[in-house]
Amino acid sequence: MSESTALRDWLAAEWHVEPAGFEVRITGQSTAGARRRNLTLEIDGGPHPGRFVATVLPTADIAILSMADEAAVRMLAREHGVPVPEVVAVCLDESVLGGQFFVSEFLDGETIPRRLLRLVADAGIGTHVVEQLGDAFGRLHAIDPAAAPAALAAPVAPVAAALDGVTAAIGQLLQPEPAFSYVLRWLRQHRPDEPSTRRVVHADVRTGNIIVDRTGLRSILDWETSKIGDPIEDLAWVCTRMWRFGEDHLAVGGLGTVDTLRDAYVGAGGTWDEERFRWWRVLVTMRWGTGLAGQAAMHLDGRFSTVVMAASGRRVAEMAYDALMLVDQA
Amino acid sequence: MQYRPDAAELLDAIASLLERDVIAAVPPHLQHQVRVSANLCRILQREAELAPANDTAERDRLSAVLGHDGPLTELRAELAHRLDDDSAIDATTDRLIRDSLLATLRADLAIAKPGYDTITGAP
Repeated sequence: MSESTALRDWLAAEWHVEPAGFEVRITGQSTAGARRRNLTLEIDGGPHPGRFVATVLPTADIAILSMADEAAVRMLAREHGVPVPEVVAVCLDESVLGGQFFVSEFLDGETIPRRLLRLVADAGIGTHVVEQLGDAFGRLHAIDPAAAPAALAAPVAPVAAALDGVTAAIGQLLQPEPAFSYVLRWLRQHRPDEPSTRRVVHADVRTGNIIVDRTGLRSILDWETSKIGDPIEDLAWVCTRMWRFGEDHLAVGGLGTVDTLRDAYVGAGGTWDEERFRWWRVLVTMRWGTGLAGQAAMHLDGRFSTVVMAASGRRVAEMAYDALMLVDQA
Repeated sequence: MQYRPDAAELLDAIASLLERDVIAAVPPHLQHQVRVSANLCRILQREAELAPANDTAERDRLSAVLGHDGPLTELRAELAHRLDDDSAIDATTDRLIRDSLLATLRADLAIAKPGYDTITGAP
């Protein structure tokens, strides 16, 4: 049976529609990151006609969040005004498409970073997009975490957990990196209190995980990393230098300024603490440096050997430099 | 000693082949890997030219910070170990360590990503 037939039959049963006159066509396929498959769909008939995306998690993969939990957090964020495509079906039966999946509304717009930044510059909407991001974070962080799926339950102490995580990662480096040791020492010595309130955080909002069209921000994608944590982590991560794709004068994803982000976030009810923001900026920058070092290790020990993973080792210095410069400013 | 071309010159030849001819000749799913490979050759070309002097300079800086000489890998490990321990480091030494680490990272970036350390905005 073809995938489109399998999908049609499953959706027909799920939505209680007669298969006759109900059509599902798979019009395209892409891999989002390395982990998932995205199928673009056209559905005729039934309760949800139109264009959709089926996001499939391959069976062999170990999910960070189950597809059901990810769909639930997407729906929760959407209910609170965060721009997220509507989820219309969740399938936990791995036999239909070779893995759990959910079906969500297809939104037109740009996701590929350099093209997205060109579109934003061309349309003159960078500040607007950053205001929309700040507003979206404010809305997301206003959600009562008790309403989130239980799987998001997070460390009681997100600052300690993040610090323990990078400490462990530095302990696993293939060779000592004194710059990381210096930054880690700074992180220990400038460690903020645990946040007074823990919130639903997306943890991977960045240029590359958003859809933008000429009207502005359409959607925040890829919620598999969401968790309950320190809300300022989201604001720090979106400011990390690599998401600017060379537009370094625009600290927020190559789109706009931190001042714009801060004002929009506070305007939407968020709490901004400059010292805490800086600490998290240093932490997430160095954490990504250890992530790159981890990719080099995966190449060397054979877990995932490709020239791209090997090349990550030569990028560690970028993150070490950025982290040290951030410390220098703090 | 090997006859010319030297390592940097050979890496230049390989990078040129990958960039000029191979990218266009391989199927799309391999193009990114070829592009990354060409860039790695450029990195190694700069490494062949710059690394010997960089390593000497890094060793000199670490010797000044630690107060004794030794093999570069051992000096790096010793400094990392000292920083892992939270005993006090006075402000002057702290500044010396930070300047030394930044100088080394700038030299590493001159090989791995030239221009990365000339950022104009906030890091």
